[in-house]
Amino acid sequence: MIPARLHWPIGAVVVVVAALLPIVMSDFTVSQILTRSLILGIAAASLIFLASLGGWVSLAQIGLYGVAGFAVGNLAQADGGVKVFAMDMWLAALLAIIVTVVIGLIIGVVASRSEGIYFLMITLAFGVIIRLLFEKATDLSGFGGINQIIQPEVLGSAQLQPERIYWVCLVISVLVYLGVRYFARTPFGLAFQGIRDNAARMKALGYNVTLIRTIAFGIGAFVAALAGVLNVWWNTQISPGTIDIRPVIFLLMIAIIGGLYRIEGAWVGALIYVILDNRLRSIDLVGERVATALGIIFLLIVLLSPGGVMGILESLSSRWRRSDEPDQPAGDGDGTAAAVVAGD
Amino acid sequence: MTDEMSQTVTSAADSVAPILRLRGVGRRFGGVQAVRGVDLDVGLGERRAVLGPNGAGKTTLFNVIAGEFPPTEGSVELFGEDVTNKPARDRVPLGLTRTFQISRLFAGLTVADNLYVAVVGVDGGHLRPFRNGRDRALHQRAREIGDRVGLAGVLDRMVGVLSHGEQRQLEIGMALAGDPKLILLDEPAAGLARAERVKLTEMLLGLDRSITLLLIEHDMDVALTVAEHVTMMHDGRVVAEGSPSEIRGNQLVHDLYLGKGHGNDE
Ligand SMILES: Nc1ncnc2c1ncn2[C@@H]1O[C@H](COP(=O)(O)OP(=O)(O)O)[C@@H](O)[C@H]1O
Ligand SMILES: [Mg+2]
Repeated sequence: MIPARLHWPIGAVVVVVAALLPIVMSDFTVSQILTRSLILGIAAASLIFLASLGGWVSLAQIGLYGVAGFAVGNLAQADGGVKVFAMDMWLAALLAIIVTVVIGLIIGVVASRSEGIYFLMITLAFGVIIRLLFEKATDLSGFGGINQIIQPEVLGSAQLQPERIYWVCLVISVLVYLGVRYFARTPFGLAFQGIRDNAARMKALGYNVTLIRTIAFGIGAFVAALAGVLNVWWNTQISPGTIDIRPVIFLLMIAIIGGLYRIEGAWVGALIYVILDNRLRSIDLVGERVATALGIIFLLIVLLSPGGVMGILESLSSRWRRSDEPDQPAGDGDGTAAAVVAGD
Repeated sequence: MTDEMSQTVTSAADSVAPILRLRGVGRRFGGVQAVRGVDLDVGLGERRAVLGPNGAGKTTLFNVIAGEFPPTEGSVELFGEDVTNKPARDRVPLGLTRTFQISRLFAGLTVADNLYVAVVGVDGGHLRPFRNGRDRALHQRAREIGDRVGLAGVLDRMVGVLSHGEQRQLEIGMALAGDPKLILLDEPAAGLARAERVKLTEMLLGLDRSITLLLIEHDMDVALTVAEHVTMMHDGRVVAEGSPSEIRGNQLVHDLYLGKGHGNDE
């Protein structure tokens, strides 16, 4: 692991460089590679948040992301969807997030009693139900999806000023990242991790395990909702296909490629996925078989390192350090050292 | 009920209402009657060992007292309150904590954080998603307890890398962190080396007398040194009660238990 004292400087450099990229990158790259990566990164962060702190792999995150997107489209009166509201975009976004969190809490009530493969299946079922509901309820999802969702005025036009939505996504990404790191060191965050490790002991210590899990799932839904709102601002449209089973699997792949147990892996995985998705398409041999090619690359990464790319980076940097300086006895074992940085 | 216990050190048990009172407690798992008809009174400050061969129902009795599951018959009263059907988490604020026969720790957290979670468990504010001024005191308290159970040197290690002995020490630390009035210890010496058992015995003897101790233990040296009262179980029932010396002299106890190579559980 990178020494704890370097975490802040490295993080700051990464963010500053990221913020300056629109100066040197083409509009296409800023929009189609960078912004898309950040949005998928936030969605993946909602998954990794639950996986790393709660030991839960949720397949409902794309569904929740879709709920937020459809809610924005309907509330802000885009083309398609119900035409009864014509809310201000900011209000629509706020309400969309609230609706998504409420639905997340409802799913959480059911899912919080399960673990492992059962949790996976329950969340998958909810994801599929959400998709089917939107597909059947064409009042809500429009016939060809909801189109021409307008961005808030300050963002200007997605075509002409792609850097604006990019910066918004960057700021939200940083806030989500810092928020998750901070949360991990709070009483609630530590309780959630305690439940991950031993729910029976948590009960014996006086904790309401079901309540904590349910609310934690609601927090995961909140993060997914942020990604869902940003996605429709950026993409200006959403359809039931957006929350199909394929995106569900791709999001899981992003999280696993990045490393399920480190929150920064969300954005690393998303960037790798988006770059591969773009580049592979332009290779003749691959063409339409992008999913197959991605699947093979995914398998290779997982076989190489169960901790994903973050796991590879970690073992490389610790190997490099070992040849450099003597091992600290407790340093590396102190997995929370990284998290402590987030708030001290 | 427990009137026969004559030469006991505590006198509180007889004069004051018991802090734990079981009446006709039974617990059935499908066709297995794990515990049946147990009456038990435990007084403030008492040190009581629960002995019995494997499968006697000792752990099941602890689970009923702690609220892991309710009894199928009978009632449980804690500190004068009927808690028969209350979940475990509602018994912690009353002052009840426990350890487990097989360690139940948070392997992905450090020793200090394990203890911190235990301290917060009884302190409250479980859903607080931010840090505040209280945390310093709570973390401090967690580290003090770590110190007290001999883990000062490994507070910042992940629990997953601790030795078995250290994990058993942390089990007890987790129970002490709850600032308990009554502790249930389920085989705290299980798997400990000889020297570790001696240290454990000393630590238990050094516990404040305001803490009541209920102890399941296979190691007779530990059990009969720490306990002043003994309850002997067999086949789900209480079959004998008395002081350690009475228990040592009891023929039934010998037949059931002491005869079968005591002290060397593996
Ligand atoms: N959760 C359970 N489900 C089914 N049977 C159980 C359960 N817990 C204990 N038992 C049974 O109850 C009996 C007593 O077990 P236990 O209380 O663990 O005994 P001891 O702690 O004295 O060794 C055993 O026959 C055991 O198999
Ligand atoms: Mg047992």
